[in-house]
Amino acid sequence: MTQNLQIELTGVDKHYGGFHALKDINLSIPNGSFVALVGPSGCGKSTLLRSIAGLESITGGVMKITDEVVNDMPPRRRDVAMVFQSYALYPHMKVIDNLTYSLRLKKTPKAQARKMAEEVAATIGLETLLDRYPRELSGGQRQRVAMGRAIVRRPKVFLFDEPLSNLDASLRVHMRKEIRALHDRLGATSVYVTHDQIEAMTMADHVVVLRAGVIEQQGAPLDLYDRPASKFVAGFIGSPAMNFIPGRTNGDGTSVDLALDGQPTLRLGRPAAANQDVIVGLRPEHLSMASTGDNNFAVRVGVIESTGSTTYVGAGDRNDITVVLSDRRNISVGDRVQLAIDPDKVHLFDPITEAAL
Amino acid sequence: MTRNMNRLYLALAIIFALVYLFPLYWMYVTAIKSGSEIFSYPPTFVPTDPQWGVFAHVWEIRDMGRFIWNSLVIATGTMVLVATLGTGCAYVLARYRNGWINLALFLVLMLQVLPASLMVTPLFVGFSALGLLDYPRFAVILAVTAKAMPFFVILVRATFMAVPAELEEAALVDGNSRIGAFWSVVLPLARNGVLVSAILIFMQAFGEFVYSKSIIQDVSLQPASVGLNAFMGPNTVEWNNIMAYASIYVTPILAAFVLLQQRIVAGLTSGALK
Repeated sequence: MTQNLQIELTGVDKHYGGFHALKDINLSIPNGSFVALVGPSGCGKSTLLRSIAGLESITGGVMKITDEVVNDMPPRRRDVAMVFQSYALYPHMKVIDNLTYSLRLKKTPKAQARKMAEEVAATIGLETLLDRYPRELSGGQRQRVAMGRAIVRRPKVFLFDEPLSNLDASLRVHMRKEIRALHDRLGATSVYVTHDQIEAMTMADHVVVLRAGVIEQQGAPLDLYDRPASKFVAGFIGSPAMNFIPGRTNGDGTSVDLALDGQPTLRLGRPAAANQDVIVGLRPEHLSMASTGDNNFAVRVGVIESTGSTTYVGAGDRNDITVVLSDRRNISVGDRVQLAIDPDKVHLFDPITEAAL
Repeated sequence: MTRNMNRLYLALAIIFALVYLFPLYWMYVTAIKSGSEIFSYPPTFVPTDPQWGVFAHVWEIRDMGRFIWNSLVIATGTMVLVATLGTGCAYVLARYRNGWINLALFLVLMLQVLPASLMVTPLFVGFSALGLLDYPRFAVILAVTAKAMPFFVILVRATFMAVPAELEEAALVDGNSRIGAFWSVVLPLARNGVLVSAILIFMQAFGEFVYSKSIIQDVSLQPASVGLNAFMGPNTVEWNNIMAYASIYVTPILAAFVLLQQRIVAGLTSGALK
């Protein structure tokens, strides 16, 4: 099986002086998969990516690319391509020379390099821009050149460091699909760093959530969404973020009392330990407004924001319970409404360790 | 209102420039005046009888070709040595950040503070011990290089710092070595700053006096600055000839500066890339 693993990290550690940036990272990336590293800023996701590229050295553990230990291998011998957040196009070279830079270093004959670059340019819509300088291109075009520069090398691994964060929202959505389509077409292995969980969820086969240098949870996007291992992952994955309400399980462990007005009780899908303080996690999109009295609780509506297709309701004492409605309701601020939820969709977390219960 | 203020500032700037440039004008004018006109009172601001032949005459009698050649040798040697050694130094100081680098920067700036007249004695003794005084022009090149290096390093370091580190990293990932990335990406982008700084060093070395005067005893190896000094004896009255000498010495540098000034200012102020 190991020959199917493109990248394998075992117990990888990284210290910057006294700062422990990566802690015991274990990660296996199969050939051809699209892996997203996601987390808040400063969580170590970029450091991890730069370590795979060889731009940072690791201080402990083993890093393998196609079964070869690369701990001390310089970037140029790792056969990985990287797309930078700032694109890092060589400003003194035309687009064509940016594209052929790596080929020229590999001593590819000039005509052949030119032909390869033109082919790549054609696939990503750059063919008319080859004789321009990067400063003469728009943000989206620069982004494409950065992609093309990576593609033309046919590397073992593509590394993306927040490549879409400098684009405007609509272009970002478009490029998201395009990068994923490109990945599928090339059959390449990709590692993609982003702070945007939507990018991670929509593009990746495998999502790795990092927090303070530790892998908090990894798995398929929907697994992370359905079965978050901790309160942190639950709050990070999904938009808008999950609602957290303190509560306490009842004597038989089949229901939980919420610390809200009137101590409403919610049934649980599967029993939990009895008489235990917990944090109850309810996804905004799993809450519905129900007039009937099945597994529901009453809250006061404080804020109503409608985008036309979707209505966001902020409810509760501090308007911190978010509800997403896809249909329009005749509600107004100050109303008391009943929120209902499927018992199987109630998440419980330990208030101290924050682990899922 | 602001328009009038702007005019006022412009007028002030022109007045200051005139005051500042007056000695230069006086040099050129005195050079072509006749001996009696120089000492006439009140002084004439425009020469009544310009003596154009004075330049060729001075070039001939003072053997200026040799002096200028020596100045060129010293200035070129210094520029090449400073640029070769200083560029690498500036690059390292720009790319790494830690306590040792800060100490190195501090020491570099300290060197800049020490005046040449203070350094010349220990240098002379040291060079003498090493036998370098047998190659006096080379010895002067070494001394001026040491003097000019901090200025160059500080300027070029700023240029390198304006080149984003990500460009270099992109080159590394694209398959280049550190040195290769420096040559093919960093240096081309910092080229303007390096060239301009090198030209400034050349100009500084071309006018260097203290080290040349002390270290070069042989007249045939002395640069134009020392030659000019020797021209001005205690009882000299040949002001027109001396000013002609000075004009010949300074005009090429002045012309070069005027021609290049736009690039020099751009190279010093811009980050060399946008």
